[in-house]
Amino acid sequence: MSIILNEKTRVLVQGITGREGSFWTKHMIDYGTNVVAGVTPGKEGRTIGEVPVFHTVKRAMAHVEVDASLLFVPPRFAKAALKEALDAGIKKVVILCDGIPLHDALQMRSAARLAGAMVIGGNTSGIISMGKAMMGFFPYWLDRVYKPGKIGIMTRSGSLTNEVTAEVVKAGFGASSLIGIGGDPVPLTRFAEVLPLFQSDPATDAVVIIGELGGTMEEEVAEAMKKGLFTKPLVAYLGGRTAPKGKKMGHAGAIITAGKGTVEDKIAALSGAGAYVAKKPSMVGELLKSALAKHQI
Amino acid sequence: MKLFEYQAKEIFEGSDIRVPKRTLIKEISELNEAIRQVGVPCVIKAQVLQGGRGKAGLIQFAEGLEEAKKKTYEVISRAKNMYYLMVEEAINIDKEFYISITADPISGCAMIMASAEGGVDIEEIAKTMPEKIIKTYVNLSEGLLPHQAHNLLYELGIDESMISQGTQLLFNLYDVYCKNDAELVEINPLMLTKEGSFVAGDGKISIDDNALYRHPQFSLTREHFESDVQYEAAVEGIPYLQFDGDIGLMCAGAGLTNTVFDLVNDYRSSVACYLEFGGPNYHKAVKAMKLIMQSELKVLLVVTFGTIARADVMAQGLVDAMKELKPDFPIVTAIRGTGEEKAHEILRGFGLEPLADMEEAVKKAIELAGGALVE
Repeated sequence: MSIILNEKTRVLVQGITGREGSFWTKHMIDYGTNVVAGVTPGKEGRTIGEVPVFHTVKRAMAHVEVDASLLFVPPRFAKAALKEALDAGIKKVVILCDGIPLHDALQMRSAARLAGAMVIGGNTSGIISMGKAMMGFFPYWLDRVYKPGKIGIMTRSGSLTNEVTAEVVKAGFGASSLIGIGGDPVPLTRFAEVLPLFQSDPATDAVVIIGELGGTMEEEVAEAMKKGLFTKPLVAYLGGRTAPKGKKMGHAGAIITAGKGTVEDKIAALSGAGAYVAKKPSMVGELLKSALAKHQI
Repeated sequence: MKLFEYQAKEIFEGSDIRVPKRTLIKEISELNEAIRQVGVPCVIKAQVLQGGRGKAGLIQFAEGLEEAKKKTYEVISRAKNMYYLMVEEAINIDKEFYISITADPISGCAMIMASAEGGVDIEEIAKTMPEKIIKTYVNLSEGLLPHQAHNLLYELGIDESMISQGTQLLFNLYDVYCKNDAELVEINPLMLTKEGSFVAGDGKISIDDNALYRHPQFSLTREHFESDVQYEAAVEGIPYLQFDGDIGLMCAGAGLTNTVFDLVNDYRSSVACYLEFGGPNYHKAVKAMKLIMQSELKVLLVVTFGTIARADVMAQGLVDAMKELKPDFPIVTAIRGTGEEKAHEILRGFGLEPLADMEEAVKKAIELAGGALVE
């Protein structure tokens, strides 16, 4: 099993004819993803591989059934593209682009909640259910990273995901689903909102979260654990422990403001809730082993 | 992009938020004229982007012209990286409030925060008396509603006679937040004068960088940066932070860079600069190296694990940059991800030993920088 996405999920790609869109659509299909249609205004009638392209989401959905949409659109069009998907009734959306304006993101978050949709992103590599399907861009050919298994992974960072997941695999594990929450200050779905899916997924034995400074998403995970909403072992690695205050550390979301968002606070909250916190990526594998062993007793 | 106080106050004025009479000067010779316009007593304010200007002695009150001169010299001697000074009329204050609007990522709303404990550090209030901070959440598609403004003002303890003016102020400030795609608008202190009007004593506005394309009136200028190299990097669109340590970081991806940053500090070494080599910058190795070389560093550490940002392109760029610019510091690399075999070949061909492990690379860099490895 896996969460959100599997090999049967019928995926639409908005912005399919762009350079990255068409390139990664081919890779997604190669990986096993069920891509049923694409959308680019003005390009109806074309195909990408065997995937038919339509002018609009509504027109695509007159021809094919769609469960999820992947947005390969530039950040300034993300809000309109999401609105188009939601209006067409799509309940799962993944948005990859980096640089969505903050006020757009706020409106997108409230629109998604109103529509009862799960919208992942932006500023992410997407989501991948190992060995089955992916929505986004992952170097799945790196088998020391992208190996199927029973560990759920959630992450705020693309580059660090490869680094940490490689440690999970090195320790003899693999991943069930990997969810790229993204590095923006307003992620459209938050760690704690994905956690219940991992909790009820029989194919996930434990979860690794890759967090960083800024925001309160890690604290919300700790809160969910304290409330008993998540009871499987959880290992966290958090970047930016020694980052200075007030500086944006690469990601727009990675900033300590008004004394909030320090990794120190996050570690305290997570440890206090029974999570295992790795000081560096190379410790994640060992912590997973001991966490799983303890939970089995 | 953070705006200076004088810019924020111009925007406030344009949105009918009252601000004190003020003049901007560039040189001490302009002080007399400024004071003639503004009057005494007055306040001398350094136009710098750092927070806590009051505590740092960068805001000074003066009774008369002579004192104003003395205080101006004091501010000039304390301020770093200052281009303008503001001379502002002193206001007859009855009460001071705090008010700000930011984004609340959980609700997807704009969040108005207000407190009757104005004029002091809001972080301090948040820590010691969080109950003194009043919050209101505004849905961007609905906009601020009158009852929200009223409730907030009554909760602040604002006198009945000031509710109407206060409501207008909140609407105007919310308008500033929306119209400018702000991450933050803040008035601290918001002064209630003895004559019964609300006046913005200070102004902080930070514009969302991702929305700057919709606001061509704001442009990043040299004044917004602490150094030439940071300005140059920003113009190139390369995220760049400067520190004063030994090891230069040229890493791909914010998460990975933050991890390398932590590892360097954990082993008791220090970071000289932080340059984002990933995303759209992965083919800008030569420009990146030019920026890096303006920093004082002992070793350059390059760590990547990319998908779209191809390892071979980054390795080739790095080699080209070394050939062209001949940096005099050693370079340690752990370049991995898409195209890594080819990348390693390229690096070896140039006599660079490619490492596969991030921690090993960090340790190697620290050794080369002459630092002691302490766990």
